[in-house]
Amino acid sequence: MKNIAILLLALVLIVQPAAAQIQQEDFKPEDMTTFIIQVPHGVEENGLAVRGSTLSAYVFFESYYDGNMNVTMELDLPEGFVLHETSIHSFSLQTEYDNWYRLVEFYIPEDMPCGTYTVTATAVVEVEGTKHTIVRTAQLNLASKEEVTDEISVSQLVIPSDEDGYGDPSHLSNTLVVQETSPALKKLLKVTDLKLNKEDFTSTFIGIEITNTGNSTIPVIVTYDILDTKTGEPVKAFKPEIMGISADATCYATLTLSPGSSSLISLPLYISQDAMGGDYLLRVKVKLTGSDWTAVTKEQKITAISRKWGPIITTFIASLLGLTALGFFISRSRAIMDRFKTRNLVLIALFGTVSFAAINLPMTILWELSHAIFGPFSFLFTGLFNEILLYMLIASLVVLIPKPGVVSLFMMVRFLLGGFITGSFTPITFITLSVNAIILELMLYAAGITSKNPALENRFKMGIICGFADMTSGYVSFSVWMVLYRLFYSDWYITANILIDGFLYTFIGTWFGISLGNRLKKVAE
Amino acid sequence: MIGARSIAEPTIKDTIIHRIDPRAKILILISTAFIAVTLDNPETMLLLFLTILSGFALARMPAIKLKTLALLLVLLIWGTIYSQALFYSQLPRTVIFTIISPDFPVLGWLTNGGLFVYEEGLHYGAIQGLRSASILSLGLLMCWTTDSRDMLNGLVGLRVPYSVAFMVVTAVRFLPIIITEVSTVVTVQKLRGFNPKKFGSGIVKTSLNILTPTLANCVRRTGTLAVSIQSRAFRANPDRTYLKKLKASDFDKVVVVVFVFTATSIVIIKLLYNMYTSGIYYTSGLRPVYAIAKGYL
Repeated sequence: MKNIAILLLALVLIVQPAAAQIQQEDFKPEDMTTFIIQVPHGVEENGLAVRGSTLSAYVFFESYYDGNMNVTMELDLPEGFVLHETSIHSFSLQTEYDNWYRLVEFYIPEDMPCGTYTVTATAVVEVEGTKHTIVRTAQLNLASKEEVTDEISVSQLVIPSDEDGYGDPSHLSNTLVVQETSPALKKLLKVTDLKLNKEDFTSTFIGIEITNTGNSTIPVIVTYDILDTKTGEPVKAFKPEIMGISADATCYATLTLSPGSSSLISLPLYISQDAMGGDYLLRVKVKLTGSDWTAVTKEQKITAISRKWGPIITTFIASLLGLTALGFFISRSRAIMDRFKTRNLVLIALFGTVSFAAINLPMTILWELSHAIFGPFSFLFTGLFNEILLYMLIASLVVLIPKPGVVSLFMMVRFLLGGFITGSFTPITFITLSVNAIILELMLYAAGITSKNPALENRFKMGIICGFADMTSGYVSFSVWMVLYRLFYSDWYITANILIDGFLYTFIGTWFGISLGNRLKKVAE
Repeated sequence: MIGARSIAEPTIKDTIIHRIDPRAKILILISTAFIAVTLDNPETMLLLFLTILSGFALARMPAIKLKTLALLLVLLIWGTIYSQALFYSQLPRTVIFTIISPDFPVLGWLTNGGLFVYEEGLHYGAIQGLRSASILSLGLLMCWTTDSRDMLNGLVGLRVPYSVAFMVVTAVRFLPIIITEVSTVVTVQKLRGFNPKKFGSGIVKTSLNILTPTLANCVRRTGTLAVSIQSRAFRANPDRTYLKKLKASDFDKVVVVVFVFTATSIVIIKLLYNMYTSGIYYTSGLRPVYAIAKGYL
């Protein structure tokens, strides 16, 4: 029995080291690990680099061994390459699929001779006290900047393009349309409780074709900037922050160019509604992956067309309104004119003459002169004639003839007189005067001023009505100037003009116009 | 001295421009207004402007009219240049002068970041000023080469109601009288110590003092004039006869057809082009049209 026990003990002592030996012999480093080196990062075969650039080598190690392993990785760079950090990295992988990676930066001096260099990564894997060595190498073809520049080119820029980078003939080439969301659409979405994606941005794509005429595989990163043509500074409105993330983080593409190949890629382009129209410079930059050196730059002039819906819709509606009113008047002219006595027509004509003599004629020169001298603040001066005098006449005429249509006839006489005498048969005059007449007629009638029992004593009410009508026609006038005459006006200027000229001066003019009308009434009686 | 008379009064001569039918002139003016607001190409706009100016040479306008025209054009174009230099909102733009600094108290905030003169705005204003200048020049050419009665006959010929035409005739006829009255009243007011140029409430006071006697005269005149007109059977019959009948010559008809056709074509081409650039409508068959619009219009 004792002998049996001794035999068993001896057997255990013999078998235990043998089992450990078997376990160690089962660990095959090539099968149980993945060890990758990419020089530069992104290139699995022969990489390309230029002298005088900083590159990143990518080292990756993954374990498929269900146990602990300690790894010491050493990167061996060719002589002359300058490593920015330590060449030896030690780490421990604990479980199956545990991994480790690093981007190791190094610098290639300008004076390194061109040629092919080998970068070696050696991993010493220690498993259960046993060390295994794995070696990986990467070939790095070192070229001069001129050679690389000759090999890569941006062969085509398509703007705007579809999401695959192809141009669409239905869109004007090299042109971006900066279009604010239609107010009607916004309102519709609000009413229907729907939400618009990326409400503040319109987006399109830029198609970029890159060609590699060389014999090396070249990994590149493609980015773009839209620059102010004068200052050369990037324009932020074309790289807006989206949900707090800079568009630089999304507007790039990486690709690997095989020898003698071309690739078409597309990059998204976001346009903020703040973007201004005008001419810009699109600059596409191609960098070698892992390098901060820009290998190729391609520039193209592009045009941004700014479309503001507010003034366009206003002009359209105002024109439609003016033409409808004209059509209505021509079709029912006899019925309309028969409502007025001959003396009414004569009085309107004479008031038209006075307005022309006191306002239009002096303003033909004064308007331009004050614009030329006072610039944006000329409305403070011209408004005294255009608004105060004009509304004194209109209000006094309404007091004398409180009938619907009197304002329209007065405006018509002014328009035709201006056309015959100063040649101002312009679309702006027609649209502005017709809108002013329509709004005034409607509001005066609705307020009971030109209805069957005219209420003419309330100066305040009439002042408010005329002020509101003139504010509206003032806004229409600016819209028409902007759309039909392509002129620019700042929002603050339009607001100031509408409030001071449109409301304040008109209110004052109307206030005094009623007194004037009442005095003239006594003359008529 | 350039005054109201030099602006208002026509110069009647016997030139090719003067002989054009007033209806044709109105239609040419309207067509040209459409062309002017449709064009964007600076060269074409300049060509249109020069073509219109050549009409003044053909009409053999006197020097005073040309001086008036030159003054009005200079003021108009400078006004546009000035305003666009301030409000130009395209890139690139270069600040050449600061009027209101963004840090300026109140005004800096009010103007939403200051007021500057932009170099590119000056160029842009000069180009856009050509649009208004073309319309103004043609309007003045038409007015200065047409008697106002003929122009009104032309309007009636274009189906404008007679009553409206009558009101305009009355207004035109009384214009010199009322101008004289206004200047008389201004002189009287000055003699009484009012200063018509005094800014603010002074202008309102002066306006009231000028308008009250002028309009009172108008109101008095209205009664007499109305009786006089009615005694001559004004609006007694629906159809009227005219002493002077307008007759369009073949040349007038050709000119009108050319202008109306050109204006319609340009408007349609630009409309199609704008629909294309806005992504509303595109068809490859219209590519030559898009090319014309982009290159020349």
